[in-house]
Amino acid sequence: MTTDERRPLIEVKHLYKEFSNGKSGREEVLSDICVDFYEGDVAFIVGPSGAGKSTFLRCLNRLERATSGEIFFEGVNICDDKVDIDRHRQKMGMVFQQFNLFPHLSVMGNLTIGPMKLQGVSKEEAEEKAIKLLRRVKLEDRASSYPNQLSGGQKQRIAIARSLCMEPDVMLFDEPTSALDPEMVGEVLEVMRELAEDKMTMLVVTHEMAFAKEVANRILFMADTQILEENDPVNFFGNPQNERLKAFLNKMI
Amino acid sequence: MSLSRNLYLNLIKDDRYMYLVKGLGNTLLITIVAVVVGILLGFLLAYIRTTHDKTGNWKIANLIAHVYITVIRGTPMVLQLLIVYFVIFASVNVPKIIVAFIAFGLNSGAYVAEIIRAGLMSIDEGQYEAGASLGFSYTQTMLYFILPQAIKNVLPALGNEMIVLLKETSVAGYIAMDDLTRGADIIRSQTYSAFTPLLIAAAIYLFFVLIFDSLVKKLERNLKNSDH
Repeated sequence: MTTDERRPLIEVKHLYKEFSNGKSGREEVLSDICVDFYEGDVAFIVGPSGAGKSTFLRCLNRLERATSGEIFFEGVNICDDKVDIDRHRQKMGMVFQQFNLFPHLSVMGNLTIGPMKLQGVSKEEAEEKAIKLLRRVKLEDRASSYPNQLSGGQKQRIAIARSLCMEPDVMLFDEPTSALDPEMVGEVLEVMRELAEDKMTMLVVTHEMAFAKEVANRILFMADTQILEENDPVNFFGNPQNERLKAFLNKMI
Repeated sequence: MSLSRNLYLNLIKDDRYMYLVKGLGNTLLITIVAVVVGILLGFLLAYIRTTHDKTGNWKIANLIAHVYITVIRGTPMVLQLLIVYFVIFASVNVPKIIVAFIAFGLNSGAYVAEIIRAGLMSIDEGQYEAGASLGFSYTQTMLYFILPQAIKNVLPALGNEMIVLLKETSVAGYIAMDDLTRGADIIRSQTYSAFTPLLIAAAIYLFFVLIFDSLVKKLERNLKNSDH
């Protein structure tokens, strides 16, 4: 149970999202999502493909514009057009399925460009911080490499380090291991596990159910454009209520 | 007429080779200035068009850019040159070389715009999102992440555009601009011997085209080797 008296870090209120769908009109992908996330939460969002999980995550930093509803991040409604979204995005790291490293920059360049250009940090300071984070993801020897010289797992660990360089208050993970070869999934999950242990607030969209069970403090089940169930890992897997969730978990095993 | 006599008549006598030297100078100068103007204009147009396509903003600017590119690419270069000289600058006394800079620059800009636009559109959407998710604005993302990759991708195409432009400038004679082609033609009209001056001029164009071409190819190889 989250018996948190503090204001949530992220409050989602009646979030709707529709995509225009050719000539046949609109398709609803999120309908009336209401959920709060607190500092220190390690919330996993699971569910069948097409449930709207990724869209939901991408609405949180406005990579997708909500059709209606409000999302408060640190007390500010980021759905408001007048909000300087770039400033708030600095506080929300995001890790993509396809890594999206900058191929024309070295690993060091990928890690330092944000702090240097956006936070006015000096080159020396930015590189010092980058080295620390590279050590944390165990890739300190690849600082001068370019992304195309790295394996998928290494790319994703660099992408995580790049986000951490901005010292975000929350990290959004959009299927971080879905594009990886199976033998590389472990190294990325290991980095994420350590992040969770360090009390980083994390929202993770994933299909890694065993990992969710082990690391999450909350698991949300999304299907049919809605959050159908939310629980702690033990009850989520041990005592599911929703029929859709029961069917989903059965298929998983 | 022997070859040496022919060469003497067309090149040495009355310092006729100077028509070719001065003409070549003008041809290269027009090409270089037009390339610079074209690249600056092309970037601006491509930026407007891409921003509109990506964000939906700048509708009017995009419309203007779109019409401009369509008209320039859809009409002959010679006609554009004549219009700039005889219509736009009809009542003002502007040196012909300036007219040539402007006309060829405006023309090249439309082609460069489409080349750069193709380069910008070829960059994966994920690169925009990665920039945005770190907190970079759209303009910063363009500047730091998209443009450097796009330019690298289109450098060979830009090199080719420069080669095309070098040859295109041969129509500058239509406004009595003394470029390489016109220089050769003046010699022809004085000596009544077409073969030598025209073929020499053609050889000079070919020589510079081959030089540009080898530079572009070298550039392509370097880019391929340092593929990151």
